[in-house]
Amino acid sequence: MHAIEINNLSKNYGKFKALQHVTLNVEKGTIFGLLGPNGAGKTTLIKAIAGALKPNEGSVTVLGLDPLKNKWEIRKKIGYMPQTASLYGDISAKQNIRFFGKAQKVADLEKEVENILKFTELENRANDRVRNFSGGMQKRVSLACALVHHPQILFLDEPTAAVDPHLKIRTWELFRELANKGVTIFVSTHLMDEAHKCDRIAILREGILLAVDTPEQILSRGKTVITFQKNGETIQHEISSAKDAILKELQLLGLQKDINQIDIKSDDLETILLSITQGKE
Amino acid sequence: MQIFIIASRVLSQLKGDKRFLAISIVGPIVIIFLLKVLFDALDADLPKLPQIPVKPGMPPIQPPAITTLSFILPAAAFVIHFLCFVICAILLVQERTRGTLERMLISGFRRTSIIGGYTVGYFGLATLQSIIVVTEVLWLFKLDLSFTSIFLLFLVIWLLAIVSVMMGIFISTFARHEGHVFPFIPLLILPSIFLTGVIVSPDKLPVWAEFIGKLFPLRYANNIIKELMKPEYAMVDLIPDYLILVGYILALLFLASRTMKETE
Repeated sequence: MHAIEINNLSKNYGKFKALQHVTLNVEKGTIFGLLGPNGAGKTTLIKAIAGALKPNEGSVTVLGLDPLKNKWEIRKKIGYMPQTASLYGDISAKQNIRFFGKAQKVADLEKEVENILKFTELENRANDRVRNFSGGMQKRVSLACALVHHPQILFLDEPTAAVDPHLKIRTWELFRELANKGVTIFVSTHLMDEAHKCDRIAILREGILLAVDTPEQILSRGKTVITFQKNGETIQHEISSAKDAILKELQLLGLQKDINQIDIKSDDLETILLSITQGKE
Repeated sequence: MQIFIIASRVLSQLKGDKRFLAISIVGPIVIIFLLKVLFDALDADLPKLPQIPVKPGMPPIQPPAITTLSFILPAAAFVIHFLCFVICAILLVQERTRGTLERMLISGFRRTSIIGGYTVGYFGLATLQSIIVVTEVLWLFKLDLSFTSIFLLFLVIWLLAIVSVMMGIFISTFARHEGHVFPFIPLLILPSIFLTGVIVSPDKLPVWAEFIGKLFPLRYANNIIKELMKPEYAMVDLIPDYLILVGYILALLFLASRTMKETE
């Protein structure tokens, strides 16, 4: 059984088609990245999986349960971190975490709150009002609120947008630690460097799922240009970025003495995703 | 219990937002004081009003019949009604715009608990506002009422404040942002001034206007207030109006729990 199973999911807002026949599965204990430009339908898909909206068509199963029919059961097992911090600014970080922990009836809540404050490195600001926090710190409190009840699946909607590089690296380390503990992480992002950190990624554009694969496989969809100098002449070979394709090409070229310079340039993930989302592939 | 978790958070939030709390308390105090200033000016000015000339055979135009005693308490009730409605509606809409409402629902809070929690949370603020307004009116206008009348006066203002909180919660379920609350003010709150006995007795209004006035909770609060201002009144006559106010609270609680959406 997959942690998340989505089958032919569609959601319309009036005439606007936010999601169109999306089908995908997410393995347990993995980090699944949802990539796409703004307005691609990432938030809508996360909300549909979390049971916050009713799809017009198709089905969603989370840990074998329907998120609409079994919402109370599922809500104990999922953590949700929205795109905006969605916190209460006039109370402290600790009070925010405690509030969402109480909703989930967390046993030994005070201990769990202390643990999560430590895990998210918020101990020193625990009693400060959230409205005085930077955007990045608020995101961390938001993550702590989503984690306090030890969810089996964590939905993160652009968790590191507007977060400084140091905090971003630390946040992704936290995600990996959680995945290693068996937590399934479903994360949306439009930051291409984050796609590499996922086990699998899906690319969404205008509500349509364009690709689902590992980052390596997506990379292999790009092209590699091998440029070499031979007897003063510049020759270019354009091949697929697949690992074996580059190897075969180099074997074909051999190490001829008259080739005195080789330059290999492969499309990066951003270029490939851009070509996929722009429909050039 | 989820209701008390939310109520406790609402109270912590109110405590944390001292500026908001100060405005909620100082606002009614200032308005009642301004009413006192207005009435003092009216009392000084009314006797000097010249007789308005009318054509022969026409009835004379009477000077305004508003007196301090008939106006001040209904006006104070209206101030509480207006402020409680606006404050509660906007704060709950902010839950929606800031994403915390959706987060609460996904985190396992039930919509009935959210509504109940907000109601209980604002009981405190509504009670505080009611005590302050009633005390200020009694003190500023030197109203000489018995202890029982003061208690019954506080009770009606307090019930009206709770009705207003419930109206705010109910209306917030239709609003997607703070601006959506404002069109409801001329629709649900302002007509109360003209139709519920704040300025003129409802029985002097045309039948249709009196009928519309009966839809507003302020009408029933004013019925009680007007009775309490009489030198003698029978407690039993007040009970139906008190019950109607309680009925408004329960009906709005039910309606809000039906209209608040858990999913888009």
